[in-house]
Amino acid sequence: MKRAMDSGKKALTTLGLIVFTLAVVVPLLWMTLTSLKSGPEIFASPWGLPAKIHWENFSHAWQTAGIAHFFINSLIVTTATLAILIPVGAMAAYIFARYPFPGSKFLFGTFLGGMMFPQFLTIVPLFFLMNSLRIGAFSLYDTKLGLTVVYVAYSLPFTVFVLTGFFQTLPKELDEAAMIDGAGHSKVFWRVMLPLAKPGLIVVGIFNGIGLWNEYSLALVLIPSEENRTLPLGIANLVMVEHYQSDWGALFAGLVIVMLPVLIAYWIFREKIHETMLAGAIKG
Amino acid sequence: MRNRGRTAFIVTYLAPAALLYGVFVIWPVLQAIGFSLFKWSGLSSKKTFVGLDNFKQLFHDSVFWEALLHNAWIFVFGGGAILIVGIAVAHGTQGEGRLTKVLRSVYLFPNIMSLVVVAILWEFVYDPHIGLVTSLTNLFGGSHASAPGAVVQNTSILGNPAKALPAVIITFVWFSVGFYIMLFSAGIRQIPQEVAEASKLDGAEGLFRFRKITLPLLWSVGRISVIYLVINTLNVFALVFLMTQGGPDRKTEVMLTYLYEQAFVNSDYGAATALAMANFVIVMAVSGVVLRLTRKDPSGAVQ
Amino acid sequence: MKTHLSAFSAALAATGLLLTGCSGGSSEGNAGGGGNGKDLEVVSFQGGFGIDFFKQAATEYESKHPGVHIKVSGGPRVWEQLRPRFANGTPPGLTWPGWGMDYWALIYDNQVFPLDDALKTPPYDGKGTWKDTFDPSLLKLGEYQGKQYELPYHYNIMGWWYNPDTFTKHGWTVPKTFKDLLDLAPKIKAAGMAPITYQGMYPDYTIKGFLFPWVISVGGIKAADDAQSLVPGAWKSAAFLKAAQMIKQLRDSGFFEDGADGLSHTQSQTDFLQGKAAMIPCGTWLESEMRKTMPPGAKMAFMLPPVVDGGAGDPSAIMIGIEPWIIPTAGPNHDLAIDFYKYMTSVDKAKQFITQCGTLTAIKGSDQITLPPLLVEPARLFRESKTVYSIQFDTWYSTLGTESKNAMAALLNGSNTPEEFVDRLEAAAEKVRQDKSKPVHTMTH
Repeated sequence: MKRAMDSGKKALTTLGLIVFTLAVVVPLLWMTLTSLKSGPEIFASPWGLPAKIHWENFSHAWQTAGIAHFFINSLIVTTATLAILIPVGAMAAYIFARYPFPGSKFLFGTFLGGMMFPQFLTIVPLFFLMNSLRIGAFSLYDTKLGLTVVYVAYSLPFTVFVLTGFFQTLPKELDEAAMIDGAGHSKVFWRVMLPLAKPGLIVVGIFNGIGLWNEYSLALVLIPSEENRTLPLGIANLVMVEHYQSDWGALFAGLVIVMLPVLIAYWIFREKIHETMLAGAIKG
Repeated sequence: MRNRGRTAFIVTYLAPAALLYGVFVIWPVLQAIGFSLFKWSGLSSKKTFVGLDNFKQLFHDSVFWEALLHNAWIFVFGGGAILIVGIAVAHGTQGEGRLTKVLRSVYLFPNIMSLVVVAILWEFVYDPHIGLVTSLTNLFGGSHASAPGAVVQNTSILGNPAKALPAVIITFVWFSVGFYIMLFSAGIRQIPQEVAEASKLDGAEGLFRFRKITLPLLWSVGRISVIYLVINTLNVFALVFLMTQGGPDRKTEVMLTYLYEQAFVNSDYGAATALAMANFVIVMAVSGVVLRLTRKDPSGAVQ
Repeated sequence: MKTHLSAFSAALAATGLLLTGCSGGSSEGNAGGGGNGKDLEVVSFQGGFGIDFFKQAATEYESKHPGVHIKVSGGPRVWEQLRPRFANGTPPGLTWPGWGMDYWALIYDNQVFPLDDALKTPPYDGKGTWKDTFDPSLLKLGEYQGKQYELPYHYNIMGWWYNPDTFTKHGWTVPKTFKDLLDLAPKIKAAGMAPITYQGMYPDYTIKGFLFPWVISVGGIKAADDAQSLVPGAWKSAAFLKAAQMIKQLRDSGFFEDGADGLSHTQSQTDFLQGKAAMIPCGTWLESEMRKTMPPGAKMAFMLPPVVDGGAGDPSAIMIGIEPWIIPTAGPNHDLAIDFYKYMTSVDKAKQFITQCGTLTAIKGSDQITLPPLLVEPARLFRESKTVYSIQFDTWYSTLGTESKNAMAALLNGSNTPEEFVDRLEAAAEKVRQDKSKPVHTMTH
């Protein structure tokens, strides 16, 4: 009797998971399918297979939007941001987690508070600020450096929040033991604590990376020129320009092109992600 | 020995983050908050000091309260759905079966897509003629077509005052849930192996095990998730903006879409920042309440 | 410990103060004429026909004026980048900011350079005054308190569209009056098509395609002018009520395409082109917007919205909309901006614009060419019209504009009755009247 109930439950669970998988995957497959159709076909037979594969949608999207160039800009900015963000964020999180001092709770709250304030209201003061932070004629406005610095600042709340949580779960005895062995505060951090917080760093790295890759509103105001334009801006341009000209085939092709690198990168690292998370758990 | 160089350590390690954050986030935010005491178009050099007028106006603004209500619906229904699906899928993908392996690889897909993509995609899904929802409804014999003479008569979803918000909530859940599945998965994996195994030996199976063992141990992850949900539902913007612009007739208006309207359509920057502050206070208050209410987990341990 | 924290916050505050000192927040930038007389930055909204024409014009101008350098850039949401620039006092020299920019806030704030003096000077080819080269009814739309702030370049004509082949095939005649429409609609339904579809997600289209044409048809142009001038009671006049009732009648009779209230512009327009609906309200941009998704063989033609039999309004009344260019006061080079714009508005360039971009321009005589086929009828109707009007209240009074769109959506989907509809409009107008900070505009004919 219990067996039957078990297999019944199992079947239900499996069904549920299948439905969920479909719900996730089908829209994306549909998007890819649509990118291979011609404009009129998209509206005439939206759920059918394309009569002819329109690869030119992709070349058209590539040319119109100049995707390669934006891609590289995004890559530079995202990588630079993460390279600064993770160490700086981890350092601060470590302090909040394990070195309380009077006012540290308030400071931590300030970091959290930042996540809650709608970004586009700070855009106007930020715009003034970037223009005024200058050395001679060189200001931070319309530069990849400026954008990177702003991105780091705006990603800090989430990063600090998550990493503080992770650092808090590490046992207290660890640093005491390490210090008895003669290590100073910084050594303990870099040699002992940080490696243990790898699952947290990975989570933070992934989610920030994704968010940065797709970031639009700050870049829109801080990067007006085409030369420094990042990918989301290029894509949004594509969507809106194509929207006006209704070349839906190229639009969907553009969306697929943008989505693909993220998907591929995630796919490559997916086992590593799960591995590290599992490893972290076993240690605990 | 612990105190040696402790202060210097704290300052050195906090300084970079604090400096960057202070200059590029806090300072502009303070400036923006200051604007709430002025009447300013956001385009001009002239600002008029009006004290708390913007706040008084906000309190009497029915659109604000309507928007807040919608945010609340999104939090309760969207957030609720996310928590349930998140925990369920996280729990269900702990095994090593082929299906779970596949699912583990794909559940984050919606979350990594740009919101522009998500909005367009779901506009098509909800399209009254060619959309997936219509096709499925017809497949199962139902029909969207209203009875002749009905007051609200249409097959549209995003244009239907009663269906628009639920539709947006569903899209929101689809987009967001992956992140929470990941959080809960990480949390479940942190459950010490010994506890998991011991409970299995004791014969605790399936739902019982889930309720008595897994759930309490997920408490702290659960708290974090709820806080995130508070923030993300009260601050939802891009998805609603892209899909419905707060329409039809404000039926999907949320605080931030109204804020955008105040700032950039009505050129009333002061009113917009007053709204932003109200939004901020609400988020803080609700988060605070949640943190308080979830201090004790069911096993009695205090967080 | 405490001292460290307070030292830290003091440092933060000091940095902040330092930075405020540096950040300008005022628009005390060059009040025109200053800066290098040879550089011009042009920022343009990028829509259906892109910005290539303007880039081309810039290159041509540069070759005619060696030493001059004009940079043209743009985007589909260019106003978002322009807003902070206006606030910061560093706007471009010449710009078409697009529909998302609040022009009037800029004008009230003296951020737009009045062009009356410039209009008295000769145009690019030197004959007469620049002012004379513009169609006066279009030029008037850019005025405020007697001064010219916005300059029209191209304009759109708003009306209804139908497929002439379909009509011929079924032996239908284009409805000239509302009664004609009511007679024709059941025949269209019998043929398996929806008589009318519309862009439900953007009530802008139906305000311009249904509401105002019928208000004017019933009550004359004064009914619309009074409303736009915020005359008390104008928004719930008999004309408005009747127009709302007409819309309700169409809806109750099932003459609107099912689900139209949830359709975007591209979706409804595609439905029209695919033959699912017989008529749709839209502007003269329809063809260029839909070019790439048009099914092969789809045809379209322009018609005026059917008028009300026995109505007080001029049956030849036609609705237009200009796309305004402005010269920012704080722009660094007024003379060059004006001269370049003169070049753009020379008759030859204007003619070229029509051919290349498929839209009519405000320059007199520019339509004396072989017009693109789809512009022939609209241009003729415009020329022969005795009442040319434009909807501007939504740009003058954004809250009234938003509420009118919301109310229109409610009327179309049945949540509001015509009485509730006009009450909402009048209430919104009253709110604007009460707001003393909003300058009042008048619309006259």
